[in-house]
Amino acid sequence: MELRGQSREAFTVTVKDGKVERTSHGLNKGACARVLIDGSWGFSSTTIINKRSLLSILKDAKSLAKSSKPKKKRLVKIASVQPYEDEYETPMKKDPRRENLEGLLEDVLEADKEARSYSENVASTSISLSVVDDSLYFVNSEGARITQRIVRCFGGALIVAKANGKIASAYESVGKQAGLEVFEETPIREAALEATERAVRIVPKRVVPGGYVDVVLENRIVGLLAHEAVGHTAEADLVYGGSFLSGKVGRKVSSEMITLVDDGLLPQGFGTMKYDDEGTPTQRTVIIENGVVKGFMHSRETAIQFRVSPTGNARAWSFEYDPIIRMRNTYIEPRDLTLEELVEDVKDGYFLRGGGGGQADFNGEFMFSIQEAVKIEKGELKDSYRGAAISGNAFEVLNRVKGVGEDFAVQVGVCGKEQPNYVGIGGPSLRTEVLIGGS
Amino acid sequence: MTLIEAAELAVRECVKLGVDEAEGFAQTQRMVEIVLERGEIQSERTKIRRGIGIRVIKDKSLGFAYASTLNTRVMRKTCRDAFKLAKVSPENPDWISLPLPKKVPPTPKGLYDEELANLAPDEILNMAIMGYDAVRSTDPRVSIDDGKLSVLSTEVAISNSHGISLEGKGTAVSFFLVCIAKEAGESSSFAFEYEVARTLKGFSTERVGELAAKKALLSLGARKVKPFKGEALLSPDVAAEVLFQSVVSSVNADNVQRGRSLWADKIGENVSNPDLTLVDDGLLPYGLGSSPFDDEGVPSQKTLLIDNGVLKNFLFDSYTANKANTESTGNAVRGGYSSLPSISISNLLVKPGTKSLEDLISEVDRGIIIHRFSGRVMTESGEFSGVSKQASYIENGEMKFPLKETMISGNAFESLKNIVEIGRDRRATMMNIYTPPILVKEINIVSK
Repeated sequence: MELRGQSREAFTVTVKDGKVERTSHGLNKGACARVLIDGSWGFSSTTIINKRSLLSILKDAKSLAKSSKPKKKRLVKIASVQPYEDEYETPMKKDPRRENLEGLLEDVLEADKEARSYSENVASTSISLSVVDDSLYFVNSEGARITQRIVRCFGGALIVAKANGKIASAYESVGKQAGLEVFEETPIREAALEATERAVRIVPKRVVPGGYVDVVLENRIVGLLAHEAVGHTAEADLVYGGSFLSGKVGRKVSSEMITLVDDGLLPQGFGTMKYDDEGTPTQRTVIIENGVVKGFMHSRETAIQFRVSPTGNARAWSFEYDPIIRMRNTYIEPRDLTLEELVEDVKDGYFLRGGGGGQADFNGEFMFSIQEAVKIEKGELKDSYRGAAISGNAFEVLNRVKGVGEDFAVQVGVCGKEQPNYVGIGGPSLRTEVLIGGS
Repeated sequence: MTLIEAAELAVRECVKLGVDEAEGFAQTQRMVEIVLERGEIQSERTKIRRGIGIRVIKDKSLGFAYASTLNTRVMRKTCRDAFKLAKVSPENPDWISLPLPKKVPPTPKGLYDEELANLAPDEILNMAIMGYDAVRSTDPRVSIDDGKLSVLSTEVAISNSHGISLEGKGTAVSFFLVCIAKEAGESSSFAFEYEVARTLKGFSTERVGELAAKKALLSLGARKVKPFKGEALLSPDVAAEVLFQSVVSSVNADNVQRGRSLWADKIGENVSNPDLTLVDDGLLPYGLGSSPFDDEGVPSQKTLLIDNGVLKNFLFDSYTANKANTESTGNAVRGGYSSLPSISISNLLVKPGTKSLEDLISEVDRGIIIHRFSGRVMTESGEFSGVSKQASYIENGEMKFPLKETMISGNAFESLKNIVEIGRDRRATMMNIYTPPILVKEINIVSK
């Protein structure tokens, strides 16, 4: 049996069109119990933290495990993990607990002012910064006792531009797992300005034409491909259910130029943790190495099914959820080409920039949203178009990779797989082919 | 302490601190969720969420704080946090006032189901299993990718320093399944099916299972078509996503006031085909988004948005209504006690036409029918682009074959004018948009 406790403090500042829409402070606190009885899980949570309440959720979890057992077809076993006693804290230069958070208001107001004065075509701005400070407690009946404090600082700017009765929007974000220094290293001002420039640039433009074409994907959107299209198919629960990568360990599934990693230890990674929510130490897990499948992401439950060691991928969004297999920081490793070199061999295609949301089915079919498409003609960047959705099968797209860049970048993301979670997504720019759902 | 006592206590505490105005929004939610994955019960959880969000205004500056407990000591601290934030925030010159009390209409029928609220986790588990078994018994070629049954009962209390003091409760149940069919080494696309309701009356997980399985089977044997521009018959879910999300964004008074709505100056003008009539009805019996009052305590109402193609009204909360010197339409919605209110639809009702789905199909010369859309909708500009999942090719009024690797693109505002026909059979979608299938023309159909 295991007990997890969590206290999440969240601070948010939102400015819209020069006005402070929100300054908020929030506290969410609670605990949960998960028990495994004769191969059946039971789970229960509460926001009341005292001995009586904790005993009561343990009892509920036990009775759920017992009552649901006859309806479960597969009995669960879990891989053994050494019980750790440890403490971990996000490395920080400026701990938000010791700083004045109200100072962030200034940053946002300044970014807003700059964005609005950039052009008379800027119609509306929404800019926000958040600090989410999680204290996590884990104990289990095997003797583990782990305390982790994970601090994430992040923000985003949504800019809407309007001209001649046409409207367009653009979004950029910042964020890392670190202290308030994040907002100095990657100022929200710069992200807001970039989004502003884009919104103003694309507002008079048409939507990119549709069709199957050569593209260079900007580093910031390659993370979407790594996470959305490939990553999910390497989560062992989905592999078990018959995902694209099922039964493919040791087989070549993509171009040799592709090495794809899910890394739980990436410094400042949005999804970095020392231990996952089952008390397993995290690690750098190689999914694809030079095109060949190396392994999958595991919890204690799937590790024993696959006869491997757990990789520390069992994560829960909060104390209200049981841990399931989730990515941490998923990225494609960089190689050696510059952006100019990636573009120069494209006769007729697009440089796709600025990411949005995405979805994928576990057979590798994906779609994600891009904000801007820059025409490439005979190796030269030309005019911009408004973005669209792009789609394809991830493994086809990765098989057709013709070049991988050197410009590695990691972005923040929130992934939804039944429950949300913070993840890092990254990669270098790369050249391939996709279907653009354009005009 | 009851919820209303907590909300009132918070308001009194804030007033004592010296705020100009205060509001407490307290909420309890009991949620039971059964998660299915790969056709097995992956987990079952019971969650109880309880907490309070406190909004205060001092000299036109806003502060907001929340806590996941109604413990008096913590609530007092939360009041102080909110007040502290209001004091450091610059003033918002547009701020006028929190809403004043008004007469609240009687609670519409069918928003709370005692039986649903009291279902034991074991009975809920059985409902999920019945849905799961229905998939298998429909056809052995179909398997479940994932699914979830959620039962929710919510109680809220709202109090503000102008004398609003209201309590309400509601229930909801939803079930969805994602299925895939396999035959001779070929896999269908992922079929999504669901049902969502306020009460158990007429709710059936078995029907969801059966429909999901049938949908998955329909996409076996998929082929490609060459790109073309043609008609698209949008299922209620796809119509809600592709056409009406942009409408919802454009009638939102906050977007109108902030220059983010292309309809800002179009009241009284034609914005769609004259067959389209659209109402936001916060008082719809059994409505997914119904409630006698909104999340600021303003009475709910029925608001005519589009009348035979002509734009009539926008949706307001109290802040945007004050700014525009008009009345709130009762459309302030919160995601929970940790959220500030923002404008949202309650139940968006599309007036149905007269034709069945079969009749609509028979009218298509060359086009596609789409049951699931996975893509991007830019709600301000109306641009949509995405993959047509669960789609079939139609020629000369007949369904020919299921499609693969096919995308669609277009613009919602143009498509509203390009509506050919609105179907008869309206469905409550998960987005609280009630719409029949809709046939539109001049959609770009993109493929490899």
